[in-house]
Amino acid sequence: MKSVATHSDELVVLRRERRQRLTPFASRRYVSRVTRPSIPLATRADGVLAREIAASEAGEAPAAETELYRRFAPRIRLYGLKHLSDRGAADDLAQQVMLVVITRLRAGEVRDPDQIGSFVLGTSRMMATGQRRGERRRAALHARFDAREEMVDGGSDVTLDSDRIAPCLAAIRERERTILLLTFYAEKSTHEIADALGTTPGAVRVSRHRALASMRDCIEARRAS
Amino acid sequence: MTTTQTSCPSFLELADYWTSDSAPADVERIEAHVFTCDSCARLLAEAEQLRTAIGDLARSGSVHALVTDAVLNQLARDGVRVRSYVLDPGETVHCAVWADDEVLVTRLRGDFANIASVDAEWRLGSGEEWGRASDLPVRKGASELVFALPASLVRNAPNVPIRLTLRATPAGSPGEKVLAEYVFDHEGALDRHSRDA
Repeated sequence: MKSVATHSDELVVLRRERRQRLTPFASRRYVSRVTRPSIPLATRADGVLAREIAASEAGEAPAAETELYRRFAPRIRLYGLKHLSDRGAADDLAQQVMLVVITRLRAGEVRDPDQIGSFVLGTSRMMATGQRRGERRRAALHARFDAREEMVDGGSDVTLDSDRIAPCLAAIRERERTILLLTFYAEKSTHEIADALGTTPGAVRVSRHRALASMRDCIEARRAS
Repeated sequence: MTTTQTSCPSFLELADYWTSDSAPADVERIEAHVFTCDSCARLLAEAEQLRTAIGDLARSGSVHALVTDAVLNQLARDGVRVRSYVLDPGETVHCAVWADDEVLVTRLRGDFANIASVDAEWRLGSGEEWGRASDLPVRKGASELVFALPASLVRNAPNVPIRLTLRATPAGSPGEKVLAEYVFDHEGALDRHSRDA
């Protein structure tokens, strides 16, 4: 039985049933043959890259591994920033998750390489939970032994420089600027902001959206000029 | 190339992801999408950069805004050097910024009963306008407004009195009225040497 998966600029024909009957060595050669079209790595689908890595021994598909890392490490880092609230921890998470993902791909433990994005997200969730538990354990030890540890600055990859956004932040309405500061600097909830400004949570959301849309337009205009 | 079947969230939905009270269901939905969509991953990163840049600007003391104690507390936690002045209506304060000040905060006390928002206008002694802000939100029952100004902005202000006028239209009132006036007798930028001299 044939199944055909069409990607943007490639056609990969998979004989899944036949592949399952192949020996591991033959399977690798087979998958390698059908998943290495002569198209640039950057335009290959995630699943194609994942299958290429799965079909390779360690060190055999460095380009595919690098490309997969380039695509997913930034997303894992964003996930880490959201859930771990620390740049250093987010960087660590990206490294650890990608290591696990590539190892498990090679070990044939990823059931559906075409769903590699979901697998990466699931691994991120699991490992972030582990990191949070570790953090709690460390915090408990600190409290117990009054230990002190300087925060390590993981560096910033912010590409929006202050010179570019300062005029845009100055150009929005006062009320909106206050809401952005309370949201993204003081990290207050919508309800807390509404309470502080004597308005409703709905009005805060509307103002925040309007402010962000204005900021984005302004930044784009300055980028273009 | 990452592709996806589900519809892409808007930039504003992605920006909401970074708020402290984003709904868990929305967070999960956005994450599930972003891990399968290259362009939305870039857009989420863009929203994160914007959030970070706003925080960095505040931390560098470069923002001119009406603030609350929550922002001032965060500035204190970040080690930002803040100089504060408190004024009652009609009061004149001799003010200056010092070399290492980063933010100047003015606490403007007044009667803000029945006021939802105010307009502010700063004028030099000559009558020339130095600054203006409109539609500043006022919390019900508030007894003061707190302005944060970059010290660098005040450092470059002329050494003359600056008059700040607050205007508002109270609920049920036919027109705008002056709520309060405050005078900042600006003495310029000071450092240890100028003080000793």
